Amino acid sequence: MDDDIQAIRDQFLNQEFDEIKLEIDGQRFAEYSKACGELDEKYTDPNHADFQAPPTFVATLVGRRNLPEDFPQLNGVGMDAGKAVEWIAPIRDKMTLTGKSHLHDIYTKTGRSGRMVFLVTRMELYSEDGTHVANADTRTVIRERPSG
Amino acid sequence: MADQIAKLTDVEFGTELPAFDPDTSLENVRRFGKYVGWGGGRFTDHEAARKEGFPGAIIPGVMSQGFLGAMIHRWAPTAQIKIIDTIFRAPVMVDQPHKITGVVTNIEEDDNEVEIDITITNEANETRVQGTATIQLPA
Repeated sequence: MDDDIQAIRDQFLNQEFDEIKLEIDGQRFAEYSKACGELDEKYTDPNHADFQAPPTFVATLVGRRNLPEDFPQLNGVGMDAGKAVEWIAPIRDKMTLTGKSHLHDIYTKTGRSGRMVFLVTRMELYSEDGTHVANADTRTVIRERPSG
Repeated sequence: MADQIAKLTDVEFGTELPAFDPDTSLENVRRFGKYVGWGGGRFTDHEAARKEGFPGAIIPGVMSQGFLGAMIHRWAPTAQIKIIDTIFRAPVMVDQPHKITGVVTNIEEDDNEVEIDITITNEANETRVQGTATIQLPA
């Protein structure tokens, strides 16, 4: 582990930096489901007895910020490198979720064009009764510019 | 290759999921943008995307991930997706045909869980998105 990355890890990993209330709109996740090609009516039909969001829907829920306010500026442009979701319990129409974000991992890979820094931001989602219903990870890659 | 499976015993190591051709049309992406978000020009307007340096409009990453989930549900309607991890290797282009393929890579009988590798490729058979999923099935 490079010293500069270890220092960032020590300072920022697992420190919550954002909390947001998210109102879940059934029409929004029904349209998401149809556009993505879901056929099961429990994801597309608000009148279905078990109407719920498909597990991947939580990747569309975003916080107020993706990194801590005092996170250092890295020397490169960030790009969306991937999304991961973990389903724990159903998310339904008109639920109010609380999204709590922290940096879950910071690591590097070095290729022919130099070092790439990966930042994994995790939003943990909780229902109104405090049940942990899902995790949504965003993986950002910063391809560092050559110095000098 | 079965079109659909219902329970864990229907699945074998190496089972290929039925290929899925997602709707990458501009009309569908604009609808996604209207109701879900990601309605910016790079996703909904080829010319605007070119001005940003892309070859044309691109599918939002969250929509590509949704395609993967839909593919699994079409194959295994009784499945509960527990985890799905998606790596965006290159843009999925709007209005261009893409194919999604998947293969079972592990079966955990104690937990009724199946692991699947999923790939989105374009017409040139270039990988655009890679994913892995863990699903749970009835015994």
